[in-house]
Amino acid sequence: MVTIEINGQQVEAEQGQMLIEAADKAGIAIPRFCYHKNLSISASCRMCLVEVEKAPKPMPACATPVADGMVVNTKSTYALAAQKSVMEFLLINHPLDCPVCDQGGECDLQEFSIGYGSDKSQYAEIKRVVKDKDIGPLIATELTRCIHCTRCVRFGQEIAGMRELGATGRGDWMEIGTYIEKSIDSELSGNIIDLCPVGALTSKVSRFTYRVWELANNDSISAHDCIGSNCNAQTKNGEIKRVISRQNDSINDAWISDRDRYSFEGLQSDDRLTKPMIKKDGAWTEASWDDALQFAVNSLKDIKDKSQIGTVCSPSVTTEEMYLLQKVMRGIGSNNIDHRLRQSDFRGQDQDPLFPGLGMSVADVAAQQAAILIGSNVRKEQPIMGHQLRQASLKGAKISFVNPVSFDANFNVAHEFTIAPSQMFKELKVLAKVALENSSAGAPEGLAALVSSVKVTDEHKQCIAELSDADNSMVILGTIVQAMPNYSAMRILASYIADASNSTLSYLTPGANTSGAYLSGLLPNRTQVAQGEFANTDGLDTQAMFAQKLKAYILYGIEVERDLDNPVQASQALDNADFVVSLSAFVTDAIKAGSDVILPISTITESSGTLINVAGIWQSFNAVSKAKGLSKPGWKVLRVMGNLFNIDGFDYQSSEDVINELKSALALENSQSETSRATNQLVWDCPENISAQTTDIQRIAELSIYNVDAVTRRATALQKTQDAQVDVAKINSALAKKLKLEDAQAVTAKQADNTAQVTISIDNKITDNCVYLSAGNVAASSLGGGFDTIELIPA
Amino acid sequence: MKQLTQFFNSLFLAELFKGLSVTGRYLFKKKITVQYPEEKTPQSYRFRGLHAQRRYANGEERCIACKLCEAICPALAISIESEEREDGSRRTKSYDIDLTKCIFCGFCEESCPVDAIVETRIFEYHGEEKSDLYMTKEKLLAVGDKYEEQIAADRAEDASYR
Amino acid sequence: MANEVCFRTLHLDEPWTLESYLSVGGYQSLKKILTEKIPAEDIIEQVKTSALRGRGGAGFPTGLKWSFMPRQSEGQKYIVCNSDEGEPGTCKDRDILRYNPHQLIEGMAIAGYCIGADTGYNYIRGEFWEPYSRFDNALKEAREAGYLGDKLFGSDFNFDAHSHLGGGAYICGEETALLESIEGKKGQPRFKPPFPAGFGLYGKPTTINNTETLASIPVIVEKGGQWFLEHGKPNNGGTKLFSVSGNVNRPGNYEIDMGTPFSELLEMCGGMKDGYKLKAVIPGGSSSPVIPGDQMMDVTMDYDSIQAAGSMLGSGAVIILNDKVCMVNALARLSHFYQEESCGQCTPCREGTGWLSHIMHRIEHGHGKQEDIDLLDKVAGDIMGRTICALGEAASMPVKGFLKHYRDEFQYHIDHKKCMVGPGSK
Repeated sequence: MVTIEINGQQVEAEQGQMLIEAADKAGIAIPRFCYHKNLSISASCRMCLVEVEKAPKPMPACATPVADGMVVNTKSTYALAAQKSVMEFLLINHPLDCPVCDQGGECDLQEFSIGYGSDKSQYAEIKRVVKDKDIGPLIATELTRCIHCTRCVRFGQEIAGMRELGATGRGDWMEIGTYIEKSIDSELSGNIIDLCPVGALTSKVSRFTYRVWELANNDSISAHDCIGSNCNAQTKNGEIKRVISRQNDSINDAWISDRDRYSFEGLQSDDRLTKPMIKKDGAWTEASWDDALQFAVNSLKDIKDKSQIGTVCSPSVTTEEMYLLQKVMRGIGSNNIDHRLRQSDFRGQDQDPLFPGLGMSVADVAAQQAAILIGSNVRKEQPIMGHQLRQASLKGAKISFVNPVSFDANFNVAHEFTIAPSQMFKELKVLAKVALENSSAGAPEGLAALVSSVKVTDEHKQCIAELSDADNSMVILGTIVQAMPNYSAMRILASYIADASNSTLSYLTPGANTSGAYLSGLLPNRTQVAQGEFANTDGLDTQAMFAQKLKAYILYGIEVERDLDNPVQASQALDNADFVVSLSAFVTDAIKAGSDVILPISTITESSGTLINVAGIWQSFNAVSKAKGLSKPGWKVLRVMGNLFNIDGFDYQSSEDVINELKSALALENSQSETSRATNQLVWDCPENISAQTTDIQRIAELSIYNVDAVTRRATALQKTQDAQVDVAKINSALAKKLKLEDAQAVTAKQADNTAQVTISIDNKITDNCVYLSAGNVAASSLGGGFDTIELIPA
Repeated sequence: MKQLTQFFNSLFLAELFKGLSVTGRYLFKKKITVQYPEEKTPQSYRFRGLHAQRRYANGEERCIACKLCEAICPALAISIESEEREDGSRRTKSYDIDLTKCIFCGFCEESCPVDAIVETRIFEYHGEEKSDLYMTKEKLLAVGDKYEEQIAADRAEDASYR
Repeated sequence: MANEVCFRTLHLDEPWTLESYLSVGGYQSLKKILTEKIPAEDIIEQVKTSALRGRGGAGFPTGLKWSFMPRQSEGQKYIVCNSDEGEPGTCKDRDILRYNPHQLIEGMAIAGYCIGADTGYNYIRGEFWEPYSRFDNALKEAREAGYLGDKLFGSDFNFDAHSHLGGGAYICGEETALLESIEGKKGQPRFKPPFPAGFGLYGKPTTINNTETLASIPVIVEKGGQWFLEHGKPNNGGTKLFSVSGNVNRPGNYEIDMGTPFSELLEMCGGMKDGYKLKAVIPGGSSSPVIPGDQMMDVTMDYDSIQAAGSMLGSGAVIILNDKVCMVNALARLSHFYQEESCGQCTPCREGTGWLSHIMHRIEHGHGKQEDIDLLDKVAGDIMGRTICALGEAASMPVKGFLKHYRDEFQYHIDHKKCMVGPGSK
């Protein structure tokens, strides 16, 4: 610690800290443009020049390290003269178009020009004009306004890991651009809008439809992945106009993903359901809430065998809804409740931890020294986790992947094992064998026999050695592996590898609230019985519910044809059922076709609630935007259903009552916002019946980045991005040659009796003998299981 | 003595005549009453009457939807919805002034960076129902189109003071 | 005596060959150091004694600069030669590269020995294709002859040098921009601290010296620091190359002793061309403030004397202007140069150099306003001292200098919308 003096005030600062950080901490404002806490220092805007005693020139506070006894003046005539001259220089070429600029009202340049600008311009020359660049559907450019702070450039290099923007030209002809005409494709690209201190980069979505002073700030939580990024959803007249990031150093730093930023557009989709609807004699009529609820409840009461009712819930709804949903269903005597929409292998579910989580905080990931990710496209699935892993990698962490596709990484990948889904179990056996050889602890029974025949390579050895040598390391199970047929077997091997290499076994879960689903008991196989204790129940999992064709289904926040692993099987089950009730914010033809009554529930931003992220952080939020039409928050609907079923204990007054009840059931203090991180370690119990290797062509299904939930699918700007263009079947050139297919050729994809028309895209990142046809998109809705065999027939 | 003067003053109604003398003086003075509506008082070019939206000579509406008038309006009489027009420019989707709220302070005109919203000399307007006093963008533009000559002349006269 | 240090091979045919260089005692200094195992400290002491100051423009004492290097520390260190001779008026390094490249190589090797670097880079200005190929050939010759490579002269000192052709940006003459450019990045100066001696090329400790500085080293080692010092004045040691250009009869590079009176230098150059009168001199490259001719006649050519006259020796580019030169035009040309060459990184320089150039363009073409002269002075003042590198100063010092001595010419341009001296003045 050193003591410096700023404006006559004694300020404590840490050795090596920059002056501006010390001043910020002491609450002394120094104007700045290029400095940003989470980016490297460029010291190029010169706005933060201050007077430092004994320095021959004014010093930039952002790049001047503190020294004991330093005397600094930020407001002396000398410092002000420097700041004012810089302000003047910045303004001479800046257009005076604040009235039409979306940044107007929150513009740093505007703000500081009040304090440091002159009311009269001495600049009589022609101002610089820069042609705008089209950098994609998300970000609008107005580069004449650019003040060349290079925050966007540094963000690309340091955070997004993609050098998409750069400065070309020099002197006052310097321009920010993409060198060649190109869109910005990073999944974190929207952050450059927040970073831009002026209106050079603004949002294309809701462009010109608001002024910042009209917006109400609402702290909220992003609900599109398991990270729970903190955001600020800003509304005008109850409608979200934009979402910006909110600093949380333990989760998302200063960033949010584009998905979190732009998904809100889907809330205004035309197919929002505004009134309850009942199907009578094959025709849909609007109904009152009373009638619709009564109809639903009566019809469910008519099902005598309650084990013939199946309930499937989206993993991206609030914990309150999950808790009440399972409470209603268990109240009427049905244990067939599940939220694991894409999982197909449920063996070993009784070993599931309290909730499948990271086993550490999100920010801790950046401090890991090694990691293996199994079946994960982390960068697109959980962009903020991708960011944290990249930060770890930049610090030297060795990060390896075992994946069916060689996904683009924005950091150096230590080892990459790209193999077909059916081979992944074998690959993990190899890694387990290496771990077994390295470990002094004995092997669990059966493991040695299991791995005896596999061949080990140097790369496997190195990969495991990196894991064992690291002080902090993790083995991560991604959402792709969780959907695979041999998941339970692979998980047990991963658990052993983690054990033997002294790493943490971590999960990256689908949806925004899988942790909440586990903790609230939205599972067929267990229920809360006492304070923090669970008992086993014998309900059916998602797969079984649809395979066994039950009499009635409750679908909660689900689009069957896009959210489930096997949409065709599910649709058939719904057609076959006597009664189906859908609780949904949207109404589509598919929902209408499969349901008998549809109840409009509000989306997550229109309801108060709690999300529990993958690190076990409980984050509650208020309703941000106005509910559409007559739609109601899900917890209220479920509460009334509970009353109509005459189940005890449904007298909640608020969503807090619900979450408090769950907290006390879990034996958590009310004030506690974090569930102690469950140990994810499993007992060795490898299932038999590992599905055999096959010579058939296997499908690889990954829920693509902008297909994760109903709201995101309706966000029109996101759907125009490069990442959203996934309605293709990707194969590598070897398979294309074998099947005599060409790039962009139209083919029929066939899984059992189900077909879909797709075009071929040749992509050598796909492993041999596999077809990458992502889940959740339109083509996949008429196909079967995500990892089943598939045929491609030229059309 | 003082009491005596007071006594005679009240006896001869001195105060009354003093008062009446003022009345008498005005009785024979030139009258300044204006015979409205046949006659009208002169108006300042700065008169703040009914609002109008102006256009440029090429027919393009001036308003750029910056919403400064909406922000400054002390009576919250203005409400604006903005959008990106097809040509990429920032324009209003709707621009409404509620004349029943407006206090005719002229702040909107002063805040306008493009001289789009102005207050005209018109003060004789009426509405048969309340909604008639709710000026939409179309109505405001119509006023502007009709009186543009006068509006422009008034702004020109005031230009050196602005 | 002229041509004793950097140009000592100049009297030979094909002076750039290894043979020519060896004939004047080339590579003997390096051999002596390595075979006699002279400690680096002793050589640095010699260089300090010689009062050799950086010949690139800033004039920082070379010996002192070398002593900043963490010589004892482990790890890679670099010596970088700055041959990005971009300063308008300067052409001395070009001729060293063309006529005496081996002396530079020897100088780099000795410097490498002193600072503990085994690798040297020579960053050569982008437009210097001929000097670049000469230097590259010299490197090849030296390597083949065993003057570069591993275990030189049987010692355990390894040294190799590489040349790097720039992209043609003035700013890359700034040492940290030069490092960025070698690293393959856009040539933009780094913020200092950290200085290159701690965090230089590829993040390793690096010393950057001018071509002429390094080329002087072998002679200093051979003849001793005192010998070199005696060729100049105290604190201004040695001989110096002056690139004389402008309205003189014999413009060119002159290697003369420091402290030689300017009048003598002018005489060497054959005096003023066509009999015109000397009006002004820019004594140290375009960035140095202009000095009126009569004042210049009393100045001796060394750092201290020129500084006392209100300018700087800079890179030794002496630009002679006669009385037919329009000072407004001259400054407009210079300002345009700095506008073109500003890297655009930091605000005052990016915006300020453009502004200066715009105003100068206006004044020159008869559109000047009365307040423009004060504005020029203000803008130049606002740039100075507030930029990342010295280009800001380089752009504003000429403005200040021209305004100080020739304000009347600017005023005349503004008042009469035409030139006082130049074309159209009658």
